[in-house]
Amino acid sequence: MTRTNSDQLHGTLDMLVLKALEAGPLHGYAVAVRLEALSHDVLSVEEGSLYPALYRMERREWLSSTWSVTDTGRRARFYRLTRTGRSQLEAETASWARLTGAVASVLKA
Amino acid sequence: MRLLRSLLATVRGLTRRNTIANEIREEMRFHVDMRSEEYLRSGLAPSEARRAAVRRFGNPMVMQDRGYDVRGGGLMETILRDATFACRMLRKHPAFSAVAVLTLALAIGVSTALFSVIDAALIRPVPYPHPEELVTISVSEPRPTQVSRLAPSMNDIRLWRTSTAVFSHIGMGRVAGFSPLIVETNNASQRLTVGSASEDFLEAYGVSPVIGRGFSTDDTREGQPKAALLGYAFWQKEFGGDPGVLGRQIRIQNEATTIVGVLPVGFYDRTVVWEANQWPAAMVDRRGSGTPVIGRLKPGVTAAQAAKLLTDVTPAGSMLARDPVPVRVELDSLYHDETAEYTSTVQTLSYAVGLIVLIACINVSGLLLARGATRHTELAIRASIGAGRGRLVRQMLTESVILAGAGALLGLVLAWLFLDSLVALIPFSLPANSPAQLNVTVLTLSLGLTMVTAVLFGVVPALKLSRVGRNINTILAAGGRSGSAPLSKRGGQMLIAAEVALALVLLAGSGLVLRSFSKLLAVDLGFTTDDVVTVEVEPVAQNSEVRRQYYAALTEAYRALPEVAAVGMLDQLSLGGGHSYSFPQADTGTRIQGPLRTISPGFFEALGVRAIAGRLPEESDVAAADAAIVDVASNDKFFAGGAVGHTLKMPTMAGKTPRFLRIVGVVPNLRLSGPEYRVQPEAYFLPDWSTETLDQGAFSMVVRLRPGVSFSGERFRKVADGVGPKVVIGKIQSLSDIQGERVSTQRNRTLLLSLLGGFGFLLTLVGIFSVTAYAVTRRTREIGVRVAFGATRTHIIGTILGDAVWPVAIGVLVGLAAAYYGTTVLTKFLFETTARDPVTLAAVASVLGIAAVLAAWLPARRAATLNPVTALRAE
Repeated sequence: MTRTNSDQLHGTLDMLVLKALEAGPLHGYAVAVRLEALSHDVLSVEEGSLYPALYRMERREWLSSTWSVTDTGRRARFYRLTRTGRSQLEAETASWARLTGAVASVLKA
Repeated sequence: MRLLRSLLATVRGLTRRNTIANEIREEMRFHVDMRSEEYLRSGLAPSEARRAAVRRFGNPMVMQDRGYDVRGGGLMETILRDATFACRMLRKHPAFSAVAVLTLALAIGVSTALFSVIDAALIRPVPYPHPEELVTISVSEPRPTQVSRLAPSMNDIRLWRTSTAVFSHIGMGRVAGFSPLIVETNNASQRLTVGSASEDFLEAYGVSPVIGRGFSTDDTREGQPKAALLGYAFWQKEFGGDPGVLGRQIRIQNEATTIVGVLPVGFYDRTVVWEANQWPAAMVDRRGSGTPVIGRLKPGVTAAQAAKLLTDVTPAGSMLARDPVPVRVELDSLYHDETAEYTSTVQTLSYAVGLIVLIACINVSGLLLARGATRHTELAIRASIGAGRGRLVRQMLTESVILAGAGALLGLVLAWLFLDSLVALIPFSLPANSPAQLNVTVLTLSLGLTMVTAVLFGVVPALKLSRVGRNINTILAAGGRSGSAPLSKRGGQMLIAAEVALALVLLAGSGLVLRSFSKLLAVDLGFTTDDVVTVEVEPVAQNSEVRRQYYAALTEAYRALPEVAAVGMLDQLSLGGGHSYSFPQADTGTRIQGPLRTISPGFFEALGVRAIAGRLPEESDVAAADAAIVDVASNDKFFAGGAVGHTLKMPTMAGKTPRFLRIVGVVPNLRLSGPEYRVQPEAYFLPDWSTETLDQGAFSMVVRLRPGVSFSGERFRKVADGVGPKVVIGKIQSLSDIQGERVSTQRNRTLLLSLLGGFGFLLTLVGIFSVTAYAVTRRTREIGVRVAFGATRTHIIGTILGDAVWPVAIGVLVGLAAAYYGTTVLTKFLFETTARDPVTLAAVASVLGIAAVLAAWLPARRAATLNPVTALRAE
């Protein structure tokens, strides 16, 4: 039932995750917190669905991951943008800008 | 080894999967911990904070599952889980599983056997590289009345070598001689298959000797020392693989021949020795020797280009000394020629086996649907706890694949056990170098077929049954009782109709070959084969006088045996199913065009044949050798029924005195070449030892035994050996065995197609039985209600049968239409039977129809004997 919606969601979620990681490596929870700041809606229902998205992007080699230790001394998995991921982010940002630009000009007219 | 490695890989994958699962679990636990700490900080109670964090995260189990699916290992895991579940389901229904697996095993086993034959006959029959470059070459002389296709002459070949650049090699030769020759080594004298070759012939095949050299142009000149190449197996057997064999001599047809080389293993192994062709100078430019000419085209040269280039340089020809006409050179694919014999038979068998596979798939499909109907509750529950339709389809397809896999395993075992007996039935002899076997190619094909069948029989039930998702509530509310709802009655009926139609086509094929074969066996040969023994024997000395004396003495010796009633001779070419042609000229002006056979007095008596007019040849005719006999066909066609007293002029080599024969008698038409040959005008004459050419001089003794006496081949052999000169004795066999061999191809084809037809028939009946039996089970309650309201047994049987009779009738009609068009592929195999023989079609249709209705009647009768009380309580 939710499949078509979630397909549309994937792209946006991916872009936001990439954006969240642009500044530097983060673990999953930190990504979730960052996304919260960026957007209130995307993950409000099920935060857990962030993880399949992370794994998918790792498989596509947009991200790489390593186990590391947090400031509080706990073991966590940290995700980092790869070069492919960075160019993917640029591409998506550009196309998003084009789309919103187009929509904006339609609305203005 | 490979199996072990893949097992290890699976195990490693499983342990890796655990690592991944643990990592995902740890990562998600960290997330939830962090979130609940945050809630804790914002003032929630610890238990409340935890609950809120989990709620916000979503179901951790679901998230972990989705995690596996992305991280890999998840799919493998699902498949394994599905497979374990499928195995459990199959074990829970042993009767269903056994029928399904056996059905599939039969289909896959038969197909595997066929694959191995196709592999042996068509895929790897050629013992030489790049078969696509090899062509057979002939020269055509187009004349207004007829086009003669002749084998090129040696001069043509040598001209093409020097004046064109189309062939990398070209030569003339025969990979197996027409009849065995006498080969003498120090150990033994044997009659063996001998091949012949000019220079560059074996090179065209791409074969070079493992030791020694091939044939040179000098070897093929008349008067040069004779040269021979040994086949590998013969070299090993007769010479122990001794490399010192080069330069040694053997004798072929009593002529000293020098061994110049040994051919590699696997090249036409049935041919033990190859001799260099030697043509008399006069024959070098003569076309039409009948010996094949093989060329290997240079890479990049097409057959069409080559034919044009060759036609341009080839001089005009004149066959039979007529006016020369411009000739056309024609090239044919050697591979195509060599496999043509197999292709049509393999094609027919493939159709039959294909039908069996389809029937088996429909059967298993029906079984799956039937069993699936009892699984609605289970499927509905699975759907209600979140299995999507795709998930259910995957689960059911996994079951199909496991069924097909089990069927394939059993099928391979069956194929392995029965391959040899099945291959013995294939109506052609496989190339010697290419036995049918279960090799990688065959196994790959079988594996592919297994997957295809799994999808064929699995997809329809899977799609139909997975629809439970749409009405979970209804099904669950019915407490699993409403099994009939989503499965239409028509599904089962369509399966019955399809099966009957397919089986009818298959059975029509079997019926036609059976009818054809019975007609073949009923043919009157014109003589009796009972109590007749033949002895192939030939003196080693290639000398007319030795032969004349030997055969005369042997005839006397056999006649003196107490168990012998009559003795005569027949030329060995005729005994082998062949004959010679030489068109004798009758004094009426016509030429007798038909088989000529050489016999001796006593031959007709030995076959139990009497003269219809005139008399049979007698001992007094032997000296002059001028008596001839014709058959009824010649008598009618060339002499208007009055042949006796006419003379025949035998064609002779130029410069020799013509030989005149007097027709002394007429005998019935004899089918010495077998029942399949049509009756032809034939003539029989006695050997003229004074002019006899040696190569036609080998005879077989034809001996009629007194009725009821026992016969010893050993005794006949001893007598033949003890007469005098050194002889080679071939086969000693009864005439009925020889005649049996003449129809062995047809017998094997009939047996094989009947066997396949029988399989299809059986499978169809099992299918109809199971679909009907399932319908009865499904309708138990309904039947109970009807009986409770007073329906009679006849009524119940009628209702159930009615559901099966219609599809059977439709299946028979569709099958008849399909057979009407389909069985024409058999036309070339049928003897005096048309492919649309109405009697056969009617018989097959009624047998199948009646059997099909019977198969449905059995479960119907069970339904009628149901006790209404038990029936209402059913399920």
